[in-house]
Amino acid sequence: MMAYGEDHIALAAEYALGTLDADERAQVETMMAIDRDFTAIVQAWEFRLGVLNQMVGSVEPRPIVWENIKTAIEHSEPQAPLVQPEAPPVASVAVEQAPVVDNSSVIQLSNRFRRWRSIAMTASAIAAALVAMLAIEVYQPDLLPERIRPKPRTQVVEVKTPSAAAPSAQYVAVLQAQGGSPAFILTVDGATRNFTVRRVGAAAAEPGKTYELWLISDKLPRPRSLGVIGGGDFTTRPLLASYDSDVVNGATYAVTIEQPGGSPDGNPHSAPVYAGKLIETVPSASQPPR
Amino acid sequence: MLTPAELVWLIAAVAKGDEAAFERLYAATRAKLYGVVLRILRRQDLAEEVIQEAYVKVWSSAGQFNPALASPITWMASIARNRAIDVVRKRSEVSLEDEPAAMEVAADSPDPLARREMTEELKRLLECVGRLEPDRQKLVLLAYYNGWSRDQLAQKFEAPVNTVKTWLRRSMLDIRECLGL
Repeated sequence: MMAYGEDHIALAAEYALGTLDADERAQVETMMAIDRDFTAIVQAWEFRLGVLNQMVGSVEPRPIVWENIKTAIEHSEPQAPLVQPEAPPVASVAVEQAPVVDNSSVIQLSNRFRRWRSIAMTASAIAAALVAMLAIEVYQPDLLPERIRPKPRTQVVEVKTPSAAAPSAQYVAVLQAQGGSPAFILTVDGATRNFTVRRVGAAAAEPGKTYELWLISDKLPRPRSLGVIGGGDFTTRPLLASYDSDVVNGATYAVTIEQPGGSPDGNPHSAPVYAGKLIETVPSASQPPR
Repeated sequence: MLTPAELVWLIAAVAKGDEAAFERLYAATRAKLYGVVLRILRRQDLAEEVIQEAYVKVWSSAGQFNPALASPITWMASIARNRAIDVVRKRSEVSLEDEPAAMEVAADSPDPLARREMTEELKRLLECVGRLEPDRQKLVLLAYYNGWSRDQLAQKFEAPVNTVKTWLRRSMLDIRECLGL
């Protein structure tokens, strides 16, 4: 188990306490997805503080709540425990975060999903059917017909251009569908800009299909293919060296389903099934997490 | 109320897809979990939505529950509370202006519990919280029970956000030291 500094411990504690803002929470969740030891620290805090709930009074929810839950789980089986990837080596530089705002199709799709969600939250009268569907969507997207499958979630975190003084910084993106478990973990070595894609939760591609990774940047006119991935558990390539570091760091990484061998014409042929953005794995020790 | 051991057994059954066990687990824990999220969200519609999502997650991830790390109710409450915090953080930070009354209501402390009803873990944690300065004690407990953000805490304590940030960080590290971790 690696040693964590006070910054990490305090970050984990504040996550459990609940005082982090939405971006910081997303950052912690991404770190948890890639770092089992950090997850253990966060959970230890959650459970340690969780005893405080003994003092909270009980309130009976309405019976409709159980009806909705029951409807939702009828379409989903419990999942086997997620096998977490091992922690990659971590480096330290401050992480700057901002909501993703660009006009790529990924973002539009994600907005569409969000709209749908907020409708679900306000229209409680039709909740039963809709919540059931949402639950399937979140937990078992494969059960849904193609046209209403969830569009990928984009991590709302991004990293500012790394300084040249961080030779071995590691950047990580968790590629996932909306609300889903991590499907692929993309790791970029800050020095060589080699990238590695590790398949974690994604099923093997269906026969006659293949996963292809794309770099989507507002600095580029269209998505650029980074090649076919997911044939094995790992895919490692040097391709990112040909892009500027601000393109690499600010881009959205998306996975589409293509014909064997990948897209024949350099354009994606499906909506992204998984997507994410890079973050640096660990904030700096000298600069407390914001 | 079922004993923790009974709840552990139920969660193990839920992990195998036992819907009857899930219904019993829900019946035994729903009011506590709903109380926790309602206190943070303060709106029935949001709290119902969150509690539904939380139980669907309990259903789907029961196999990941580790009784060596947490009691069943603590594990389930963490799932529900995390979801509630995500929702309030994403609803932007304006809720204090939206709900001026929330400040007053929220200022009261949660149900006092007879000391003999507290678990050893709770007593120990409260002892450590009790060693913080009175203002910091209040800060930590308001953050936990009401799910307040740093901005809301800054407003309540009439202090700059950065100061609140420092207080929170220091308080958590002090608690950690006091617990001997």
